[in-house]
Amino acid sequence: MNRTLHYVISFVVLIVLQLLIFNNIQFSGYVNPYVYVMFILILPMAIPSWILLLLSFMTGFVIDIFSGTMGVHAFATVMAGFVRPWVISLNVTAEASEPEASPSSKTSGLRWFFIYTVTVVFIHHLSLFFIEVFSFSNFFHTLLRVLLSTAVTTFFIVLFDIIRPRR
Amino acid sequence: MRSLLNFLLRYKTLILFLILEAVALVMISSSHNYHQSVAYGAARNISGFVAKRIENGHSYFRLRQVNQELAAENLQLRRRIEKLETVHKPALTAVGDSASGIRYNYLSARVINNSVNKQKNFITLDRGSRHGVTTGMGVASSTGVVGVIVGVSRNYSVAMSLLNTDFKLSASIARNDYFGSLAWNGRNYRYAQLSEIPHHVVISEGDTIVTSGYSAIFPPGLMVGTLTGDLKKGGDFVTLKVLLSADFKKLTDVYLIGNLTRHEREAVEEEVTNE
Repeated sequence: MNRTLHYVISFVVLIVLQLLIFNNIQFSGYVNPYVYVMFILILPMAIPSWILLLLSFMTGFVIDIFSGTMGVHAFATVMAGFVRPWVISLNVTAEASEPEASPSSKTSGLRWFFIYTVTVVFIHHLSLFFIEVFSFSNFFHTLLRVLLSTAVTTFFIVLFDIIRPRR
Repeated sequence: MRSLLNFLLRYKTLILFLILEAVALVMISSSHNYHQSVAYGAARNISGFVAKRIENGHSYFRLRQVNQELAAENLQLRRRIEKLETVHKPALTAVGDSASGIRYNYLSARVINNSVNKQKNFITLDRGSRHGVTTGMGVASSTGVVGVIVGVSRNYSVAMSLLNTDFKLSASIARNDYFGSLAWNGRNYRYAQLSEIPHHVVISEGDTIVTSGYSAIFPPGLMVGTLTGDLKKGGDFVTLKVLLSADFKKLTDVYLIGNLTRHEREAVEEEVTNE
């Protein structure tokens, strides 16, 4: 119960941060960090994949409602939720942490957490930005936006992970 | 039957994934005319409510600048009245002349949600059908053209921003009245592109770009921006870079422009083109 509450609070905090701060960050149209993806990243290691998918969809849907982009974020978060178990399995460390634990740099090491974050965030941003433009014209322009935004989002997520309170 | 169940259980994640992505894609594709959907209307009322609370806080920090802009616009309008009164005094006092009747009505509105960092930006306004907003009304700020209303709920409306790659505006060069199509290429939010200007037209940096009035949405002569950057030529038509006069990064107060004779105009235009 305590754990559920912890996740509900994380969800609300991340959504509010995204809407009030990160949606307003913009450097000449190239960098749009979407830090709310962190909610999908910190769900427990062994969460059943169908719950993960539903929670991912919900996260994207909430962001969609508040930014008036029906379905765009939902599409990208479901993509991120789908690849997450796969990224974790590709990337297991020797000290495979207990299934209940939330993936973090403290339990699995900074290097592991960074690779894990950057992969999922990249896939999320890739689907998000291309679905948003809905075309492959200007391919490299969009790809550059994906890469720059991925870097900034990853930076903030790793930073938040380091400063986030331990349960 | 059993093997079907086994199949479904085995691939339940993949199937759920495909279903959710399909739902998202349906939402995306229907969002092009989502203003018609009741469900989204409800969602917009909720998010509009939240966005309004946030914007209430934000707007205090911009009051000073907004005041300055309004004062500047007032001054400009006063000058125009002055000019009109001296030049066209008889026309203004004439009664019963339908040609000089009012063509456009104006409504003021406040921007409660706005973005410039997407490819398809929308602006939420705190005026809805209750206040007389309808889809297809133009949106302008005191500095220039901003967008077009595409969705209306009871208390809120959503405008497609000029900073939306789907947005097209008929604009002309004020100095010589040549008109072209103005659109945004999705890159820098300060600049839009004016295309279809014939090769031979004489232009210079700083030329004023205004609405042409060829669409039924905006009255002619509304400020859009100024020509800037390299005026490179090539082909029969040139594409020009336009510095937008409205700063979308700090939009607060806008006004909505409704064309009172729009339906009449569109009806007669349609009648002719259908023949």
